[in-house]
Amino acid sequence: MKRYIKLFLAILIVSSSSCEDVIEVTVPSAESRLVIEASLDWQKGTDGNNQLISLSTSTPYFDTNKLVPVTGASVKVTNNNNGTEYVFTDQKNGNYIISNFEPVINNTYTLEVIYNNETYTATETLHGVSPIKAVEQTLEGGFYDDVLDVYIFWDDPADEKNFYFIKFIEEGDLFPNLEDFPDEFVNGNQLDTFFEKERDDNDPEAEFNPGDEVEIALYGISESYFNYVRLLIEQYYSAGDPFSAIPAKLKGNCVNVDNPDNYAHGYFRLTEFDKVNYTFE
Amino acid sequence: MKKILLGICLLFGISLTAQNTHSVRGTVKDFKNGETLLGATVFLKGTSIGTITNAYGFYSLSAKPGAYTLVVSYMGYKETSKKIVLDKDQVLDFEIEELTEQLEEVVVIAEESERVSIKSPETGVSKLNAGTIKQMPAVLGEVDVIKSIQLLPGVTNNGEGTGGFNVRGGAVDQNLVLLDEAIIYNTSHFFGFFSVFNTDAIKNIKLYKGDIPAKFGGRVSSVLDVHQKDGNSKHFAATGGIGTITSRLALEAPLFNEKGSFLVAGRTSYAHLFMKGIDDFKDDKISFYDLNLKTNYRFNKNNRLFLSGYFGRDAFNLSKIVKNNYGNASANLRWNHVFNDKLFSNLSLIYSKYDYQVILDFAELDWIADIKNYNVKYDFGYYLNDRIRIDFGVSGILYGLNPGEVKPTSETSPINYLKLEQKRAFESGLYVSAEHQLTNKLTVQYGLRYSMFNRLGGQYITQYVNNQPVVYNSKLDIYEDGEVLGQTYYKKNQSIATFNNLEPRFGLSYQLNPVSSVKASFNRAAQYMHLLSNTSAVTPLDVWTPSGTYIKPQLSNQYALGYYRNFKNNMFSVEFETYYKTIENRIDYLDGSSLIGNNTIETEILNGESRAYGAEVLLKKNKGSFTGWFAYTLSKSEQKTLGGTAGGPGINGGKWYNTPYDRTHDFSVTGTYKLNDKWRFSSNLVYQTGRPITYPVGQYQYEDLSIASYADRNESRLPAYHRLDVSAILSPGNKNNKRWKGEWVFGIYNVYNRKNAASISFSQNQDTGNNEATRIAIFGIIPSVTYNFKF
Repeated sequence: MKRYIKLFLAILIVSSSSCEDVIEVTVPSAESRLVIEASLDWQKGTDGNNQLISLSTSTPYFDTNKLVPVTGASVKVTNNNNGTEYVFTDQKNGNYIISNFEPVINNTYTLEVIYNNETYTATETLHGVSPIKAVEQTLEGGFYDDVLDVYIFWDDPADEKNFYFIKFIEEGDLFPNLEDFPDEFVNGNQLDTFFEKERDDNDPEAEFNPGDEVEIALYGISESYFNYVRLLIEQYYSAGDPFSAIPAKLKGNCVNVDNPDNYAHGYFRLTEFDKVNYTFE
Repeated sequence: MKKILLGICLLFGISLTAQNTHSVRGTVKDFKNGETLLGATVFLKGTSIGTITNAYGFYSLSAKPGAYTLVVSYMGYKETSKKIVLDKDQVLDFEIEELTEQLEEVVVIAEESERVSIKSPETGVSKLNAGTIKQMPAVLGEVDVIKSIQLLPGVTNNGEGTGGFNVRGGAVDQNLVLLDEAIIYNTSHFFGFFSVFNTDAIKNIKLYKGDIPAKFGGRVSSVLDVHQKDGNSKHFAATGGIGTITSRLALEAPLFNEKGSFLVAGRTSYAHLFMKGIDDFKDDKISFYDLNLKTNYRFNKNNRLFLSGYFGRDAFNLSKIVKNNYGNASANLRWNHVFNDKLFSNLSLIYSKYDYQVILDFAELDWIADIKNYNVKYDFGYYLNDRIRIDFGVSGILYGLNPGEVKPTSETSPINYLKLEQKRAFESGLYVSAEHQLTNKLTVQYGLRYSMFNRLGGQYITQYVNNQPVVYNSKLDIYEDGEVLGQTYYKKNQSIATFNNLEPRFGLSYQLNPVSSVKASFNRAAQYMHLLSNTSAVTPLDVWTPSGTYIKPQLSNQYALGYYRNFKNNMFSVEFETYYKTIENRIDYLDGSSLIGNNTIETEILNGESRAYGAEVLLKKNKGSFTGWFAYTLSKSEQKTLGGTAGGPGINGGKWYNTPYDRTHDFSVTGTYKLNDKWRFSSNLVYQTGRPITYPVGQYQYEDLSIASYADRNESRLPAYHRLDVSAILSPGNKNNKRWKGEWVFGIYNVYNRKNAASISFSQNQDTGNNEATRIAIFGIIPSVTYNFKF
């Protein structure tokens, strides 16, 4: 519901703005921070043993060299319910991996990262998700009636608050499309969401055509991760337009216990997800 | 409270005795159309006894018995006088004639009421007549009330294409906007491109920037008081205009043998008619219209009834995706009654409403929200003697708010029906104020308003653990929703929360010499209704909320000091004012707050305070073939939001930060040059410091995307805003004997095509992956042509 209202305002600003151009702006630069992308996602039907955590540092906003990997850190995840420790191995490229992680729904885990003699910790609970029960292709659905779109459907459990994170990507795309989805206005119903691309008269490949392949993943997430990722998504897609909320500092759950002001960007999340691949007909 | 009222009564009591005088009273009207004239000077020649007509053209004077000459003077009109013998109380109405036989737009002298009034103890008051507004260069072919007041010092807005206006560093919701006394909740059409005021239906406007009279209450920054015309009571008249974007028509005529009159005015945009013809836009529609209505009937010299109404609507349809419409509606029934020679009264019954609807076809939902109020006001003006005038009255407003209702629009819609808690409140006020000429040089105005606000039941209120709707999470350094303890249902006759405030208003003017004066004022005001908006621009979908358990009333204190001077026989005037304003209980929104469809707004806000201060200069040329003004404001507007009961440092670490409407420099020049009877030219030049904005200070990779990390709120600024507008008005062959009078208005908005940034957004280019800053500029150069007529 809220996302629709926001979307409406976004459409409004796009359609009412007669003139948009890219300009040179000098922005201030803050000191770089550690970025922890610790997304332990467990795909339905797999054992979830192989997991990856990425560490990097932030860079000035307009730098084209975006990824500065962090090596030499120590990364460990502990299952708080049974005390099992999972130590991740440094791949010397910013990636830290493990092959014997054991995901358990509703168990709580703690992440510990030691970098530059400072310790960062975060705690999170693994949330389950309903399976994607159907995928459908339509013409009349979505925003536009004359381009192809694809829907996924799932059932929302009625007796609890649920939060979803959805990732769409078309094969060949540089960037995924992210969506956050609370069950606030739709609790207990069959839910759906769609993926559609706008027509561009100069580029017949812009919209979906028969043969295009897409991947859609549906994640069950915690309320606190939802609050984080909702703001991240909103700011990524519409920060600064006059009808969106004033952009804010985005704080994740990774706390620097030695020096709290030097907090890390990113998030320690644990999810279960379901994924479908679909080829347009 | 009682003591103060008693004190005021005692003060008047002294002068109530020992008077042996007679009074003369009546109404001042325009000879040609019978419109009552506000602000005309009525005085007894050779004495210091004089007054100014009120909003209904009424005046009353008293003096010792004797023979006098009563003079009525109003700039732009012939001075009219009459010999009277004051041996008993009497009634004397005046109809005065305009100096020129041109269209009223051709009056190139600022009218009396707009000139600096040296004696009046009012500070921070600006008056504009429709005639003056109509001379300014038009945007999109139409002159505009809201855009014209932005050329005055201390008035800005949040950029092109955004609604509302900001006065002396105050927020949009801190302005009380009244159209014939009815509260207007949203002043804009087309998301701020036009205002809701059709200048053909407007008689005059008055903007109180600081020294708000005690008769107004409920907003802490300003009052914009807009009066509609009464309608021509002499003969049928039509006024209209055909423009590139909009067209308008106003009809006026006398009723019942000139005892009454009416005005009906309509205005509509018609871009959507052309859109139908274009294939790409045939399913889209962007349009607005509005209707103004006013009628009045004069029963006798002592009783007159007015009925006025307004209805406006915007529609915005984007093919199959979204349909949106919104608008204001208001109606007001007024009864002017003159009790006796000294006591004038007006009773008003007012209704007003703002509502919107959004239909999202693809999401299969229909969303509506509204605010409405019923208002009763009874105001009195008592002309005690030649030195004291007392205003007093009561007012009661019943509010009903529907913050949102969602309905599924189809059988298969996944949307559940939802109706947010309906809110009700009753606001009442009691006031008395006096304008008191203590000596020939010193005039004071003192008043007191007592306001009460009762948040009424009929809804659930959520309780939180430790009474904390918001809790600071010190570990993660973020604010989170408080833990819900339970809900309490308040019955309709129960009160959820009550507030009351004493609002003293004080002003004085000391005349240094016949052409200059100094003035000072102090003003305290309370505001019980708040507009929820966490975006940098006010949108038509923002909802209002009343004060209650978790949101306290805003309270302002404003101090102002001014110097005023007329030069060269009133050819020039200068006004210099400084002000300092503080506002308690100004709420601000937590990082990432979500206000739409939220039943518990209290979990998204923190209570803070704001302050604003500045200096304003207004230099005017009032007479001659060239008229206009130069306005400059140097100001600061900041706010501070501590953690309070939620704990933690608050927003931006608890430091003072810029409000979104802080403008260091604000400069405008507007002028009109009358070349001859056929041609007139006018121009505006505007320069403003850029709006505060939050810039990114870094980026990092997350989910393969480049995510921006932002600096503290409102720490940076957009580039400065400036533009130049020009217009030329051609009045071909307007012969006095011809009834039909027409004029062509050729205008160019933003002549040098400055791309003023309405906003700058930061995003990742989806093809290159690099970050970029995108500027949105709403208006480039816009030429327009309008034909105005009158017969």
